[in-house]
Amino acid sequence: MIRAHALTKRFATGKGQTRVAVDGIDFVVEPGRVTGFLGPNGAGKSTTMRMILGLDAPTSGTVSVNGHRYAAAPAPLREIGALLDAHAIHPGRSARDHLRWMAASNGIPTTRVGEVLELVGLESVAGQRAGRYSLGMGQRLGIAAAMLGDPPVVVLDEPVNGLDPEGIRWVRTFARQLADEGRTVFISSHLMSEMALMADHLLVIGRGSILADCSMSDFMSDHAASYVRVKAPALADVENLLSGRGLDVTRVDDELRVVGLDAAAVGELAFRHGLMLHELTLVRSSLEDAFMALTADSVEYHAADASRGALR
Amino acid sequence: MTATMTEGGTLLVGSAERGPGFGAVLRAEWLKLRTVRSTWWTLVATFVLGAGLTVLLCWANADWLASADADESPGSFVTWGMMIAQITAVVLGALVVTTEYGTGMIRSSFAAVPARGRVLAAKSLLLVTVLFVVGTVTALAGYAGGNYFLDREGIGMALEGGVLRSMYGSGLYLAGIGLFTVAVGFLLRHTAGTISVVLALMLILGNMVNLVPGAFGDWLVKLMPGNAGSVISTPVPFNPDLLGPWTGFAVFAAETAVLLAAAYVVLRRRDA
Repeated sequence: MIRAHALTKRFATGKGQTRVAVDGIDFVVEPGRVTGFLGPNGAGKSTTMRMILGLDAPTSGTVSVNGHRYAAAPAPLREIGALLDAHAIHPGRSARDHLRWMAASNGIPTTRVGEVLELVGLESVAGQRAGRYSLGMGQRLGIAAAMLGDPPVVVLDEPVNGLDPEGIRWVRTFARQLADEGRTVFISSHLMSEMALMADHLLVIGRGSILADCSMSDFMSDHAASYVRVKAPALADVENLLSGRGLDVTRVDDELRVVGLDAAAVGELAFRHGLMLHELTLVRSSLEDAFMALTADSVEYHAADASRGALR
Repeated sequence: MTATMTEGGTLLVGSAERGPGFGAVLRAEWLKLRTVRSTWWTLVATFVLGAGLTVLLCWANADWLASADADESPGSFVTWGMMIAQITAVVLGALVVTTEYGTGMIRSSFAAVPARGRVLAAKSLLLVTVLFVVGTVTALAGYAGGNYFLDREGIGMALEGGVLRSMYGSGLYLAGIGLFTVAVGFLLRHTAGTISVVLALMLILGNMVNLVPGAFGDWLVKLMPGNAGSVISTPVPFNPDLLGPWTGFAVFAAETAVLLAAAYVVLRRRDA
């Protein structure tokens, strides 16, 4: 279990000014499920993960792993396994040697090195220098390192970055399996679509604040609603008709948004009352849209508007 | 060096509940040190340059040193190669630390061993041991080869007194300069920066201070780390005005200790 309380990180940006990367957040990551940590780039995901691992010191607030501060553990790798980024490896050292020094540092038997190499499917290339690995192999090595101490808590920062579809599927299955074994699994991503397939619980962060902390199914029903868009010349009549049936109708500009009836039924109803429709569309807002809407205000770096001629 | 030892000592005391013990960290750092090729290249370079150049210089200068117009002592030549070999010690000291920062490995290291002082202490202890052994062996090989040519001209030196001291003195100086670089490496976290700063300090600045006039200038020359520390590695220094071998080395050790203490403080406070 990971528990953060009023966790805050400010960075100095020079000239005596500071930037808040993580702004007094509270959260609990429970065991036995996959918790997705979702947010746009620069939202504070990696900073939070580094604070969990004691790599960055919080400006204020606390974060604990299995009830105590990470640095206090006698064998940290047995408490929490982490994939921070695939490049946290010396390119001149082989995968096996990398895992061997990590094992030695925490008193983990060397036999475990072979086990985790097999677990991630790298046995055949374990003697090669890590610098020759593809991004996907690097990610696998990072995951092997995370699993070295057979830890009850696993933290993976953007684990599917740079993976091919087969690799992505492997990570997904792997995360599921870890959670089913009762471990705490905390995975960050900036891709909602990926989280939708992987996570049971969702922690959405934007500009250093928690925007949502709920189960994936709650998030879906709250944010990914669908509605039927209706446009008609006599819009007020249609609105009266539909709301008279007890449907949830909202008028937005020159259109109606109808929830609770499918498009075909709305069309039939209008036809039977002699009302002409100009548009009848089922609009399904995806989780991606929901996520975008939720974090729109908190995106750190917006792309320049292409229509303004940046590409001319 | 003093700082490292004390640090290692105090850290061992609290090891029961605060992170992996020093023995485990030492084993891990030893694995790291010997599983990259750069370690071996640098050590081979130390030996080839340190011993090879000594032999070469002794061979080339033996008859001049034996002649009446020689104004240098053969004792200045019998460890000559160590002046160049110190560069490889600087390179190794830097690589041991800064490649971890360059590659992001440092995050793996501190995630595995959150007590960062233990990582600093283990790296320092291993580097000092390796450089002392390799430095002493290199000096002995250079002496054996170089003294052969000096002997032929009748100016050979027995392996005793100042000559003997310069053998393990070479080991001590390389160990010291490696440790000095480790401290700079943790402060700067950048390979090229670390190597440039240390070499500039040892080789360039150490000579440039000769231009500073008066007693202040004389003392500055004596106290520069490279000048103070290197006297122990040669039976007869080229510059007769420097501090004595052990006094000089004590000054150099103190300077290194201060730098290490600074590195330790910064390391604990800074985000990895």
